[in-house]
Amino acid sequence: MRKTPLQKLLLHFANIVVIGFILLPMAAVVIGSLLAEKNLAGDTRSIIPGEMTLDNFRVIVTQGAQRGQVFEQATYLPDNVKKIYHALWNSTVISISVTLLTLIFASLSAYTIVKLNLRWVAWLLTVNVFARFVPIIVLMIPLYVVFRKLGLLNSMWGVVIALTGFLLPYGILILVPYFASIPKELDESARIDGCTRFSAFLRITLPLSTPALASYGAIVFIIAWNDLLIPLILNNRAEFMTLPVVIASLVGDVFVVFNLMMAICLIALTPSVLLVLLLRKFVVEGLTAGGVKG
Amino acid sequence: MSGSAPVHRFGRELSPRVLGVVMNLPTLLILALVLAYPIYYAGYLSMHRVTLVQLRSGVFPFVGFDNYLKVLEDPLFLLSLGNTLLFTAFTVISEVVLAVMIAILINQQDIWTSRITRFLILLPYAVPPIANGLIWSFIYNGKLGFLNRLLYSVGAIDSPIDWTANPDTALYAVAVPYIWRTLPFAILLVHAALQGISKELFEAASVDGAGAWHRFRHITLPLIMPVIVVLLVLRTSFAVAVFDEILAITQGGPGDATWVASWYSYKKGFAPPFDIGAGAASAFLLALLVATLAFIYIKLLYRRVD
Repeated sequence: MRKTPLQKLLLHFANIVVIGFILLPMAAVVIGSLLAEKNLAGDTRSIIPGEMTLDNFRVIVTQGAQRGQVFEQATYLPDNVKKIYHALWNSTVISISVTLLTLIFASLSAYTIVKLNLRWVAWLLTVNVFARFVPIIVLMIPLYVVFRKLGLLNSMWGVVIALTGFLLPYGILILVPYFASIPKELDESARIDGCTRFSAFLRITLPLSTPALASYGAIVFIIAWNDLLIPLILNNRAEFMTLPVVIASLVGDVFVVFNLMMAICLIALTPSVLLVLLLRKFVVEGLTAGGVKG
Repeated sequence: MSGSAPVHRFGRELSPRVLGVVMNLPTLLILALVLAYPIYYAGYLSMHRVTLVQLRSGVFPFVGFDNYLKVLEDPLFLLSLGNTLLFTAFTVISEVVLAVMIAILINQQDIWTSRITRFLILLPYAVPPIANGLIWSFIYNGKLGFLNRLLYSVGAIDSPIDWTANPDTALYAVAVPYIWRTLPFAILLVHAALQGISKELFEAASVDGAGAWHRFRHITLPLIMPVIVVLLVLRTSFAVAVFDEILAITQGGPGDATWVASWYSYKKGFAPPFDIGAGAASAFLLALLVATLAFIYIKLLYRRVD
């Protein structure tokens, strides 16, 4: 199937269009975050602004102490933005806890489905498949009422528990086929050497599953880092907000200018984008193996 | 740890039955708390009057199907449902078509630009949906947005257009960012299926004189059909629940042009007057819609595949 030069040219052109589409919002957020307020309001026709500044980041990082030139006109910085370090910390702690908990719980369950051949556990997997289709808003309303009763609103634990529950089914789905692909003989020989089933799981299955665990871990981290609805509904006090909730709280606030918003968006998206680019191979494998949410 | 002792420790080995229960305990507990009970409780709430007053007193009076009737008689709910279906149809069809096209594009080994696309393709997947929405509302902005600047500089428009303020374009203005963020997953799924097709099939067809379209229609498409079914079911069930981009870009506006079902449930339950019962009822109807659509796809498409 040799391609003619014209066909090759068309394919290159198609790639450029796709790359342009992918990078357009990335370019917008970077340029937007570097704009001064007066640039934003001024000439609406040129694509690349004349003057670039890091003032937007300076204002956010110093929690409003240093204003720079950005706020010549507006002098207003929302309280939620001033608590950006809280939000960064909360997002980090929640994402890492959810990732670790789901990895542990999902691999425990996946192992019993593959190696113990218990019928009710296989049934559990079927339930998991269906669980993934339930729209999260359906669960959030009752969850809010239940967590309110349990005193889990406005806490890190509430969000961690909810996210872990929502992401577990997906993890079990990814890990089951992977565990099943590990030769039975390895497990059996470990057992002959005196391992219990559980220590065979710890010493044989888990170490051999590092790629699957990395795939699933990276995806869970990204989903947890990016999730909005769960912390939005469960936590409304500023000290428990995650980055996406802080961003959502700025929406509709007419006094918050776009350049500041773009700077916060860039701060929020950098960790997950870097993670995806670094662990690209694992994320791709996880996504195609499990047929995820997204 | 038993590794140091080479003797099988029968005394400490749990039976598979007990071990199965123990190892599944955390999963069972957390799924019961976060999935099973809430689904049951959503049904319970949807049949009771639950607003801020009842939440404070802790007594939820039984009202039967009143919440469902109230929701179904609400023109705003029907409008939200209609918008949801339109949004879902538009995004799912665009995504499936684009995913197949781009997956074939990045599968071209002899085109070096395809490697760059393949490297970048996953990037949108990592962007927080709420940030994605805000970035696009910056792009769309009538006065300062890049879309207008771009269109102006190539001479396509004379004056800025406010894409999200027009009720006719607002829903599509939300759909494009949503497609941007969720397309990578669809492309990867199709691309994985493409890589599973053996090259000999194409070469044999080429030798027989089959053109590119013919090869696609008679070799590629039938072989990736199962993946397309999976994609349709998954993408539909998530597009029906779209929330973040709506919140970031239009908040349901202009007017009520972009009210979708999950936005309706959210607004019912978590904005004044905090009618959690009606919110739960509307969310339950949404779940019913997802289940129906998934069922129809599987019935219709799997029959064709087999």
